Amino acid sequence: MATSPETREKRNSANDIAVQTSRFGEIKVDSELIIRMTAPFPGFPESSRFIIIPHKKGSAFMWLQSLENPDLAFVVIQADHLNPDYTPDVPDLIKKELEIDQENQLEILLILTIPPGRPKEMTANLMGPVIINSGRRLARQLILDRGDFDPCWPVF
Amino acid sequence: MLILSRKEGEALIINDNISIKILESKNGQVKLGLEAPADVEILREEVYRRILEENKKAAQESPDDLSALEEILKEKKTED
Repeated sequence: MATSPETREKRNSANDIAVQTSRFGEIKVDSELIIRMTAPFPGFPESSRFIIIPHKKGSAFMWLQSLENPDLAFVVIQADHLNPDYTPDVPDLIKKELEIDQENQLEILLILTIPPGRPKEMTANLMGPVIINSGRRLARQLILDRGDFDPCWPVF
Repeated sequence: MLILSRKEGEALIINDNISIKILESKNGQVKLGLEAPADVEILREEVYRRILEENKKAAQESPDDLSALEEILKEKKTED
């Protein structure tokens, strides 16, 4: 039975928007889950909004998919899942920018670089973690100029 | 590009609220003193570029399927 446009409309939550992506095709995104970057990722000035797509239920791996650039999707993982000893100092300025007033609002994701066909050689970028305030849906990449953080930290 | 010559102790002012002072210059190295509002991010260029390049690499190389990664990470967790 053909679905009338009205029915389709009703099925979607009022907040859903359609987003084109290279990897996942057209996806429906709840606009309340969109994460806004307070500063763009170096190299990707066009992308100011992202959505987190879990690889699958219960998986540690997630995609950070750009809403502006269909091709752009980083593989990310929660930092404490990978390396519990990793506790970069988040400057007050960044906390303010992300409207973080309690430590528990702060989430740290690491971007993974995975060489094609050689997943065991994947590295995590400890020098440029992604700091997220998931409640306020604000994020930015923190660049750690001081300290000895490896941008290509071998996961294995 | 604007090119200016400065001596030790001299400074530049950008936008009323950013000052860059030449503190010392010797053996081919220049020591700078920077004063800027707290919301101005100051990074060494090579650090910024390093992050930019790693971001590009991560974006280009990300695989289509993460199932293999899932397995490898499980193995690692078991080893730990």
